[in-house]
Amino acid sequence: MSSLADLSMAEAADAVRSGAATSTALLEACWARMDALNPRLNATIWTDREGAMAAAQAADEAVRNKAKLGVLHGVPMMHKDMYYQAGKLSTCGSALRRDYRPTVTATVIERLAAAGAYTFGGLNMAEFAQNPTGHNKTFGDCHNPWNPPYITGGSSSGSGVSVAAWFNYMALGSDTGGSIRLPAAANGVTGLKPTQTRVSRFGVMPLSFSHDNVGPLTRTVRDCARVITVIAGHDPRDPTSAREPVPDYEAALTGDIRGARIGVPDNVFFDEADGPVTVAIDRALAVLVERGAIVTPLTLPLMDAVAAYGGIVSRVEAATIHAEWMRTDPQAYGAHISGRMYPGYAIPAPYYVEALSRRGPILKAFAAEVFSKVDVLVTPTIRTCLPTLAETDIDRGPPGTETKFMAVSANTRPFNYLGLPTISVPCGFDPNGCPIGLQIAGRPFAEARVMKIADAYQRDTDFHTQRPPLLQGA
Amino acid sequence: MSTFLAQTEAMIATWHGVTAPNEPGRRMAAELADTVAAFEKLRGTLVFEDEPSSFEAALQATKETAA
Repeated sequence: MSSLADLSMAEAADAVRSGAATSTALLEACWARMDALNPRLNATIWTDREGAMAAAQAADEAVRNKAKLGVLHGVPMMHKDMYYQAGKLSTCGSALRRDYRPTVTATVIERLAAAGAYTFGGLNMAEFAQNPTGHNKTFGDCHNPWNPPYITGGSSSGSGVSVAAWFNYMALGSDTGGSIRLPAAANGVTGLKPTQTRVSRFGVMPLSFSHDNVGPLTRTVRDCARVITVIAGHDPRDPTSAREPVPDYEAALTGDIRGARIGVPDNVFFDEADGPVTVAIDRALAVLVERGAIVTPLTLPLMDAVAAYGGIVSRVEAATIHAEWMRTDPQAYGAHISGRMYPGYAIPAPYYVEALSRRGPILKAFAAEVFSKVDVLVTPTIRTCLPTLAETDIDRGPPGTETKFMAVSANTRPFNYLGLPTISVPCGFDPNGCPIGLQIAGRPFAEARVMKIADAYQRDTDFHTQRPPLLQGA
Repeated sequence: MSTFLAQTEAMIATWHGVTAPNEPGRRMAAELADTVAAFEKLRGTLVFEDEPSSFEAALQATKETAA
């Protein structure tokens, strides 16, 4: 290890708590690497060195005073720039909110702070969290640290990139159709979309009331487990948040997955998949089998309904939220953002109501058939090799670019309609040197099981510890 | 411009006061024909007896009970 920035989030937190490192030193290490790499990646929208240094010094003072320390004490972090902090900039990646300073602080930010963490910047993102690629008209496109012309995945593009470039220990992302898992896969990091309602959304920019989720992007599953233990649970300020008890997710990571039943879909998720992706998934399954898991192919039910219904819910809700700006200032959006929202106004209310009213019955029927046979599902997170930013640039590309753009999230969107907890972990590289993601989904509130299997995989592989070539010498 | 797209644009303008922002928007609006087809394909294929339904209740009914 050459820098404190090379620690995982859990290692960094434990180092501060034990006195092996200071929070100030962690911050300086992250900052030095960010200064070296970020000009080529464009992962940040704003930074706050002065405020972060004051927070780091206060954290170090608390250690010296033997104060009670939280499990994330002294860990500097940056998040997708849509988590409100009262009085601080929160651009949501858009020119329309270039100067927006909210008056409230997100519950998840408060919970992270209560555990001892602090923020040192806001991360680049798709405008209003609305693309799966990392394009951004206002703040500039985000670039993949493994191969900069290729997409970073979105919409939590800066979250994935900053963690993959090893200058951020953990970043919150948001996931409405794959926006945590896609940048996790594209950048070779770990990303967890929790069960719908598992984490409070108070103080978080909304995109789709029904499909939005809050979750972490980290280098390891263990880091994800620690974060979700801190941020999950009911929040009176978000009445949609579940009252389900929150276990110690980190304690569930035993590595023992003997007898775990893994289902591999033989429909939809591998349609037109690229060879390097299927090879990587097959190899990952072999690793899990070696640990005692049992792999079963199965045909997933109701996928036509999931695709049809899931495809309209977030479009209608986003169109509703953005109606005033779409009337008064549509050219302020990137063309692919306003262009995607525009059809949402033509979807009939009965379609939307049908999609929502059948969501519960479809989940019950899906779970009864699938989770009676297997404990989790395993698929590629993205079923193709990563496309380039140019190949998916709707604003400047030819007609038909939309197809390639939408294909990026084909494997992640179904789990948003179903509301299932789903994680992406790195499992290989494509011929262009870009990472490949392994997606694991479980039944509602099975975050512990999903992370246990993902953690077992990381115990036997090193994809999550590999560093982009860009980091050499940084 | 197809009749479907012309009708769609007129309806959006009338009901929402929103006009097509750009060509990608028009192309994606034209693709709503695929959405109509997908809904047509589902008609009569799904029979659920649990009405009224609640997604939150379904999450609870299908949740993990022991890891």
